[in-house]
Amino acid sequence: MRLFSLPRLLALTLALLPVAASAQAPSDDPDEGIGLRFNGMGRTLLQQTNLGGNLADEDTVTPESQTDGEFVLDLALNAQPNSNTEVQGVIRFRNEFGGFFGAGVNVEVRELWARGVVADVIRYRVGDMDKVLTPYTLYLEEEDGVVLEPEVFRPQKDVLYYEEFYTGRNTRRLQGANLGFGLEFEQGLEALDVDAFVARLRGTNFSDTPTRLISGGRASMSTVPLTSYGSQVNLGANVVYTWDDLNSGNANEGLRNWVLSTDFDIAVLDNPSFNLSVIGEGGLSTVSLSERVREATGLPTTVTGPDGGSVVIQDSAFVVNSIFEDDDTFIEVGLRSVYKPLDLSVTARFVNVGPDFFSAAAQSKRVDFSRALGVYNRLGNDRLERLPTLFDLTRDAELYTFRVSEELMAYDPRYSNVLPYGNATPNRRGARLGIDYTPAEGALDASLDLALLTELRGQGTTELKDFLHLRASADVDVATLTGLNRLFDVTLGLQVEDTSRGGVEVEQVDLSSLLFEAGFAFEIYNRLDVLAGTKLRTASGREYIPIFENFNDVRDFPAPFDIDDQETLLGAGLRYRFRDDVYLTVQFQHLSYTNDATPAEGVTLPPEDYSFGQIFALYSMFF
Amino acid sequence: MSRTVSFEGARRAMKTWMGASLVLACVLTLAACDHATDGIDGPFLVDRFGEFTLVEPLSAVQGEVDFAGGQTLAFEAAFNKQSNWVIEITGQESGAVKRIEGFSREIDDLVATWNGSTSVLPFFRAEPVEAKLLIDGAVLDESPPVTVEVTSARVYPGEEVTGFEEDDPATLVLGNFEFEFDLTATGPSSEIPAAEGESFYLLRSTGGPTVADPFFIGLTSIFPAADGPDYFSVPTTIPEDLFFNAALYSFGTPNTIAVVQVGVDSNGNGVYNDGIDAVVSVIDQPVDWQGWQLFSIPFSDTNFTQEQLETIVAVRVLLISDNNGQPNPPLPVDYGIDFITFTAGGPLEL
Repeated sequence: MRLFSLPRLLALTLALLPVAASAQAPSDDPDEGIGLRFNGMGRTLLQQTNLGGNLADEDTVTPESQTDGEFVLDLALNAQPNSNTEVQGVIRFRNEFGGFFGAGVNVEVRELWARGVVADVIRYRVGDMDKVLTPYTLYLEEEDGVVLEPEVFRPQKDVLYYEEFYTGRNTRRLQGANLGFGLEFEQGLEALDVDAFVARLRGTNFSDTPTRLISGGRASMSTVPLTSYGSQVNLGANVVYTWDDLNSGNANEGLRNWVLSTDFDIAVLDNPSFNLSVIGEGGLSTVSLSERVREATGLPTTVTGPDGGSVVIQDSAFVVNSIFEDDDTFIEVGLRSVYKPLDLSVTARFVNVGPDFFSAAAQSKRVDFSRALGVYNRLGNDRLERLPTLFDLTRDAELYTFRVSEELMAYDPRYSNVLPYGNATPNRRGARLGIDYTPAEGALDASLDLALLTELRGQGTTELKDFLHLRASADVDVATLTGLNRLFDVTLGLQVEDTSRGGVEVEQVDLSSLLFEAGFAFEIYNRLDVLAGTKLRTASGREYIPIFENFNDVRDFPAPFDIDDQETLLGAGLRYRFRDDVYLTVQFQHLSYTNDATPAEGVTLPPEDYSFGQIFALYSMFF
Repeated sequence: MSRTVSFEGARRAMKTWMGASLVLACVLTLAACDHATDGIDGPFLVDRFGEFTLVEPLSAVQGEVDFAGGQTLAFEAAFNKQSNWVIEITGQESGAVKRIEGFSREIDDLVATWNGSTSVLPFFRAEPVEAKLLIDGAVLDESPPVTVEVTSARVYPGEEVTGFEEDDPATLVLGNFEFEFDLTATGPSSEIPAAEGESFYLLRSTGGPTVADPFFIGLTSIFPAADGPDYFSVPTTIPEDLFFNAALYSFGTPNTIAVVQVGVDSNGNGVYNDGIDAVVSVIDQPVDWQGWQLFSIPFSDTNFTQEQLETIVAVRVLLISDNNGQPNPPLPVDYGIDFITFTAGGPLEL
């Protein structure tokens, strides 16, 4: 029985497609965009970093200053022969500071894609693309060490975002193919949208590393208002499958990771002033290490060989078996109420993410804490490795990645210990409260997120950790408040985390951390801004940082992580905006780091009590 | 039958769907809260980083044990963390040592049951034994030693040729060149604790100002008991399965070579005829260690057939002086031998 009249295929043009993350977004007017365009990005960055502090006084090995920089030009060739087809390629020219006459110059293709609409119905994209589904399936969580980045630190962070293809919409950069279509209905259902993709995460080395692929998609539907209360149902089904192609190369073992989920947003009440919805997502994951083995098929047969003797022939075929497998579920369900006159939203959620839940494409972090730091990785006469600092997290491209990891990545509990893998962090259960005040026309955007969570399964003990996580931010447009006709923006950010666990002394955990951010941007003259800000982080206590194996199994705890450190990052400078997307900024930033922790027996503390001073000039231009 | 329903019908259907969605959300919530939460992730932190604490000191479940009667002895102890532990049992008369090792949080009959065997020769006797607990290689003072009375020693599998005890039925004959032996010492002896029982056989050359010079000092032949069967009893005659076992004692005397031979009745007359019956050296070995050492040799290393192994008629123990290494005048040489047995299926297990 058909419930609805025939749906009408949603006619599409490029204007309705998601905007690509490229050097410059194409025009949303399909007819205006037809033709051949050159656009792109140019950047010049020069920076000098000086080492100081008590450590530097005794350090006779490490150079006191480092100077580096780069000149980058990304030239984008964008062709749109008609309103339904678009292709773009970005060629990068890069010259490291100090390189000349061709030395240190790289020329590479940074981006290639084509997109379009088939028969005004099916949208497609091949090549580079940015995908996001839900926080549990395919998602790129924000980086550590930031709540609301002060404007003074944004230029260097923007460089990182651009380099790593971070779009600000939690998308992951993939390379593959994408197909989608939408249906509009006249009754009951409002719209149905289907989107599917397949992409290659890595290529084979034709030896022991197989090709890794990811595929998946989402089907979502929304109804028209169903009751006089404005009740409405929005449902989505998501699937992501990450797997190794064991037919590529000579590898015999590979990853298989399925994640399936259903998300829902059911408006119970919706009127011009108030909305009350049941929201959430639930699903499951399976992860396995699969092995390809050759097995006999059928019975052996005896044939006469070329020399007249008997030869036994046994047919065989490759089969894939699971060496081991883990599966688990997750659920996030809650209520969201929105008071529309104030654009005030309050969300209360219950979350329960199983300890074995594994979603490679959602849990992979932006910051890879296992990597060596790009600046002053080792300090002191003993050449000890530094711990990452806010200084590194705001500018060090070596730490950042957009790759999908096959294993839960290392994390730094000083920056994120409660939800190091975002919403998809496994082994968490509890309540989360969110308040967002984001008026479309207003001088203040503010948000608060409180999480009270606990573990589901103990790590190294049957005792469970309790977590508190509080994040608050405010973006104050002082110019609007005071009636100034110039830029005057103040930002504040705060993150407080606390982790505790009882038990015998060696099992006890008590780690507290605080991250505070404040900054302002003030236009002192036409398009000339003063930028200043600070980031302060403190962490103290003890925690155990697990080492993972087999995707998400805890292999060991190398040593108790005792910390009592603090760091302060100060920045100030000038920025001149030639126009939107073209600016020059010159800044001085200073980091001071101290660590007063008493290490556990046999544990060597990383370098302590040092400072960095950095002066840099950045010219950035999108054209 | 297909039809187009009215907007109101569709709306009612969607209401039903919305209710079903809410129910589904509740079901999903309950289903998704079911996780495998037994056990823990990773190793126990107490095991990795905790200070060791003795929860229960070492104890034996019984005060005496009759190994010959098939009894075993279990030990018990408990710690606060998984630890590398060793129970070291020492015979108070024999000096025998048995080590039981493990890595666990508890010691019980599953991981620490003693069947009377030994780790280091000599074998235990009927004697009091003392068990000590070692953690990470160090004796744990908080756990006092445990004393247990062994009322009978373990009976080892296989067929015994001789243990050189007083009541041993085997016939010992001091062979040629015995004048090179120190006859005041050579013979059954208890000069040092025997590998098994009370005595062992000591072979020692003359010493002092007049030292035995020859390469071949002398030999002792062991024959089946005069009133017994003609041949030594063996548990199997399959060469690959039959093992010759003997414990040799080294005093650390240089230039000593031990040779042990097995003779079979080639002419079938029921007695050993030197020069006629076939003989194979199963042990031909410089004696250059310290203390007792067990040697086990499969007869597959010899050229004896299955038929020949049914007629083992003699075991000969020779003392050789390595003249190539001896100074001038040469030094005396000596070694001890004990508990000669035949086993089936494998070497004698201590």
